Order: sequence, then structure tokens, then C-alpha cells
Amino acid sequence: MKLSSDASAVLGTSMRQNKISVEISREIEELVAMMPNDKKTIYQNVDSNPVGDLFRYSVHIRIQHLLTFTTFLLLAFTGLPIHYHEAFWAVPFNNVLGGLDVTRVIHRTLALTFVVAMVYHGLTLVLGSMRKISAGRFDIRQTIIPLMKDARDFSADMAYFAGKRDNRPDMDKFMYKQKIHYFAAAFGNTVMVVSGSSFLFPEFWNSVLPTQYASHWQEMMRLSHPHEALLALLVIAFWHWYNVHLAPGRFPMQWTYLTGKLTREHQIEEHFLEYLRNLVELPDERRYMRENLIESGLAVSEPVQNGVFEDYRKTLVTVDGSAATELAEETRQ
Amino acid sequence: MNISRLIAALLGVVLFLPALSNAFEDDESCLMCHKYPKMGRVTEDGTQKSYYVMPDTFSRTVHRNVPCRDCHSNIKELPHKPVKEGVTCDSECHSIENPSTGKPFSHAPIYNAFKESVHGREKQEKGLEADKPYCITCHTNPLYNEAEKAPPKEIIDRCVVCHEDEAFSAKWYNHTSRRIREIKRSSKEIVALCSSCHADQNLIERHQAAAAKEGRELGRKFPYAAVAYQDSFHGKVTKYGNTDAANCLDCHASAENYYLSVHELRPSRDPKSPINKANRVDTCRQCHKTADENYAAIDPHPTHFKEDNLFNYYAEIIYAIVGNVALVGLVGMALFETWGRKRDGVNWVLRVGTSWRRRRKTRTR
Repeated sequence: MKLSSDASAVLGTSMRQNKISVEISREIEELVAMMPNDKKTIYQNVDSNPVGDLFRYSVHIRIQHLLTFTTFLLLAFTGLPIHYHEAFWAVPFNNVLGGLDVTRVIHRTLALTFVVAMVYHGLTLVLGSMRKISAGRFDIRQTIIPLMKDARDFSADMAYFAGKRDNRPDMDKFMYKQKIHYFAAAFGNTVMVVSGSSFLFPEFWNSVLPTQYASHWQEMMRLSHPHEALLALLVIAFWHWYNVHLAPGRFPMQWTYLTGKLTREHQIEEHFLEYLRNLVELPDERRYMRENLIESGLAVSEPVQNGVFEDYRKTLVTVDGSAATELAEETRQ
Repeated sequence: MNISRLIAALLGVVLFLPALSNAFEDDESCLMCHKYPKMGRVTEDGTQKSYYVMPDTFSRTVHRNVPCRDCHSNIKELPHKPVKEGVTCDSECHSIENPSTGKPFSHAPIYNAFKESVHGREKQEKGLEADKPYCITCHTNPLYNEAEKAPPKEIIDRCVVCHEDEAFSAKWYNHTSRRIREIKRSSKEIVALCSSCHADQNLIERHQAAAAKEGRELGRKFPYAAVAYQDSFHGKVTKYGNTDAANCLDCHASAENYYLSVHELRPSRDPKSPINKANRVDTCRQCHKTADENYAAIDPHPTHFKEDNLFNYYAEIIYAIVGNVALVGLVGMALFETWGRKRDGVNWVLRVGTSWRRRRKTRTR
């Protein structure tokens, strides 16, 4: 497989971070060379366990997702009858819960849980990143932070969907779609918490704002809270649920949110750079891929065609004497 | 038992029951004629007038102890001559003395305060003035007054040790205990009462047109007061029976002397109004203890009408556009993606209970 520059860069970083030996770097190089250029044929011909093969989300992220989506849905179910309090369905709904006052108490209690989940998530991000940085395993391309590459990926992916490209772009752990979704949710959550708190603590919010904006702020928040909630609910129902439950190849659901694992075919299709990291880190995965390519008759010999492996081995030379010796022997032979 | 005795006993019960229920005393014998439901006439202009006094209903009103002629003072003999002047609420009662001043009792002081208010009017008015409420517009006795319960025996027994007349003690008990109990309308009822005029679109337009013609200033929120309140947080929770949220009178009347103040409501431009700019912070602080100038600047009657709140009007339009574009854009992207991915051979075909594609070709390991 001819590696793209993005793939080479990720592979190089991953090998450096994992301090891969010369032999293993050769093994990876050989394996990549065996992979056909047409990525489609790879992910159409791998074994996948529907509940997931390869690690994607830690248990913390899964708990945060569970907390967020349960509170989000319940917040919507209690928030809608508060906002549309005059609708024919809202009156009996509020009455069943014990009246509008009870609905409000439930709504606020859920909101607090929601905020706790957000704080938990923030802590996970900060502490997780700090741990990775201190272990020398942090790679910004692997995070949710939007990069220019995402814009390129977006246009390349659209070109693929339109039939103007042969393969989907090499995307990382979080592709452009997931970054849009994540930041839409992060922005929406912030709007909901700020506007909700401005209803709960209007005195505080207005004491920190200039007088001429006091009323507009409150009006803006009153407008934002239901609008953002409704938009979020519709986006979740029609976009997110479609993507993770109903889209072809995903039904009845992607199990990732429960198992924390992604299927192999999905990772190769949409997160190829993350799959390359797995090839670096997991000997079993390298073994599987090698056998699979040979047995399905897909193995080719297509040199990587850029210096990523040689460059990596050169860096080893400078830090590791034994590697230097091996390399020197290899050159002699 | 003797049959005739039984009939006599039953007859006695039937005959005396209504008499017992008519608690008020008709010393002036007015009911001699006014007890007949058909008592009435058709005036020269064709209006039907009923002069029927329902004894059961009247006996539950707050005026049941006032003799008819205390208010209908023009009536001097029985049968009386046609009445030309109606009763007004500021008349002097003849037989009831105000114990604090020794003068004949009258509602004149509160009526005079009411006349100075934004609602003030005479009983007989025409045109726009007739849109304003008169005393009985709000004081809809007996409709919202609960029927008085008989005073507790242990209290009356104590009173009659000195005040020998048991009927007097019962009247006095009712008069005072009523004022100790909470008898004002609930928040929900107050909102309904105020809205009966302030949500009347025809009335609002009439007054707007007249004010524009006369170059008179109307309150900025006059056209939206009721409808915007119902949409506010105060309005929403009040609608569901919450009694902690502000109703109309909690802000528009002064809490310092509530019962007088509700009669002398003033427009916000009046410095005495609790919602005048100078008094707003204190008014908000009645409930929102830490309210400041900024807090008092929040509009309690928010609308999104262009002529009232341009900011809200455009914000709502922008939100609608952004929301629709985001939703249509994302769903469109998902559909485009599905269409594009179909080239991979991906489809909605269920295999082994899922649409996971799995391997395309089977392989022997």
C-alpha cells in the first residue's frame, strides 16, 4: 500500500511513541506493503465481531455517555411539557408527574446530574491527556480537537460519496463528523447549562452583567433554552440515531457505547489512522491482518514508497547503539 | 302512629325548612314582594329588569346583615314608588355605625381612593370609561365568597356570657374571623380577573385608538400585559396553581398596604406606583431578596412582537433559520453519506439479525 502523508506521519509518531524495535518496524513495513491500495477491499474482507474488536472508549467515556444520554432524554421529556405547558399532551403529562412544580423539580435534579456528567467528562479529558503527555504517548491528531485535516477529510469524503474518488480519506480516531457532533453537543450543553442557570439564579447572572444587557440576556436565554433543546433533540433523533443505529451496516446498533470496542471493518473504513496505530501496538492484530491478507488472496507487494520506516530506523540509530549495529550489518549484506 | 300526625309532622318540616335557611332578617318586609321570581318589568327601551331577591343567595352575602333600606335609602314607604336613583357603593349606611368613628358606616373612603386610581370611574359611565371596572366588577359577591359556617359553639358560648344576644355574637364572629382568614382570590383567580379585561383585544384596540387620537400616553406594555404575563415564568407556574410566583397585584399593588393599594392601582409613570422605575428594585426584592438595578431591568412581560421587542423579534427569526439549516444540513449529510457508501456494497440487508456486513466471501481457515 502506498501510504498517504497523513498515514506515514501517524505511523512514524506511533512507532516512536511505542519505541518499536527495528525488527517490528520491518514487520510493520512488510505488512503495510502487503495491503492493497484499495482500502475498500480490505474492510470488505475482514472478520468483525458485531459487538466490537478493537478498543475505542474507556469505561469513563462510556459512563459519561450513559449519564449524558439518559439525563438528556429525561430532561427533554420533562422540559418539553414545561415549555409547551399549554399543549393538550402537556397538561396530563405534568399532572401525572404531580403537577408542573414537580416536573420542574425533576428537571432541575436531572440538570444537576447532567452538569456532574459534564464535569466528569472534563476531568477525564484533562487527566487522561496529562497522563498521556507524561507517558510520551500524546498525539493531537488522535484527539477530538479540530484540525485543518478535518476540512480536507470532509471535502475528500464528500468527493468519495459523489463518486469522484476511489477511497474514503484516511481518518483518525475521531473523523470530521464526530468532531462536528462533539462540538455541537459541547456548545449545546454549555448553552443549556448557562441558560438554565440563568433561570434558576437570575439574580446572580444579572448582578454580573451591565444593566443595559440585563433584560436582553434573560430574553436571549429564554429563547436559547427551548430552541437549543429542540434542535438537540431533533439532531439526536434524526442524525445521531440514524448514524449509529439505522445507517446501513450499523443496524441494530454500534455496540461501542456499551462494549467500548469498534468493529475492525468500521475502524479500517472510517478510522484508518487509528487502525495503523493498532498495527503498531498489537502484535495479534498484525498477525491477524497478515494471515487474512494471504488467505483471502488480497496480499500484494506494494512498497510504502516513502521514507517513514527508514526515517524511523535512522532515529533509532542516534539513540540506540545496537540498532545502529544491526542497520550497519544490513547495509553490508 | 297516627297517619294524620305523621302528615302534619312532614308538612311541618317541609314548611319550616325554607324559613330556617333564610338566615337574614327581613325586618322591613321587603321580601313580601321581592321573594317572587317573576317580580320585574320591561322598561320603555325594552330591557327586562328583574327585582327578584334570592333569599338563599342573599343570606350568604357579606351584606346579609345590612337592612335593605340602609342602601336603598330613597324608599320611604311600602309599596314604594319607582326608584330613580340606583345604589352606589359610597352611600352611607343608616343603621350601621362605624364603631371606630361613631359615624354612619360607608365604603366612601375606599371608593374615593379607587376613584384616584387608573381604574377610577363613577357607577354610571359611557364610552371608554365604561370599560373600567366598577366595585362590583371585582367584588362579585356572593360568587366567590364561601358560605359562612356556623361559628364554633365553644366560642359563642364564651361570648354570650357578656354579649347576651347570640345572633350578635355570631355576626361579630363572622365579621372578624373572615378578615383573619385568607379570603382574597388565589393568584390564578387574580390573573383570570385582570385578564378578563386586559386580554380583551377589542378593549385594548379601542383604548389604543383613543389614546393615539388624543395624543395620550398609554403604558408600553398595555397591549400585551395579560398575554405576555401568561408566557412568563411567573405566569406559567401560577397557571399550575403555584402560589409563590408573582401575580398581577403582587407587583402592581404595594405590599405595604395591600388591601388599600389594590384599589388605587397606578400606571408605572406615576411615582407612587410600585412598578415605577424608582420603586422597582424594592418591588422585586419582596421575593427576590438579592435583586438589584440589573435584576429590576428584566422585562416581566416579555414578548417577541416587532413593535415591542425588536431584539427578541430578530433573535427568534435568526434562531429558526440556524436551527433549520443545522438540522437539514446534518440529515442531508447523513443521507448523502448513505447514498455514497452504497458503492461499498453496504446495504440494509439483515444477516444473522444485524445489518453488519461481515465478510463478503466465506473463507476456510
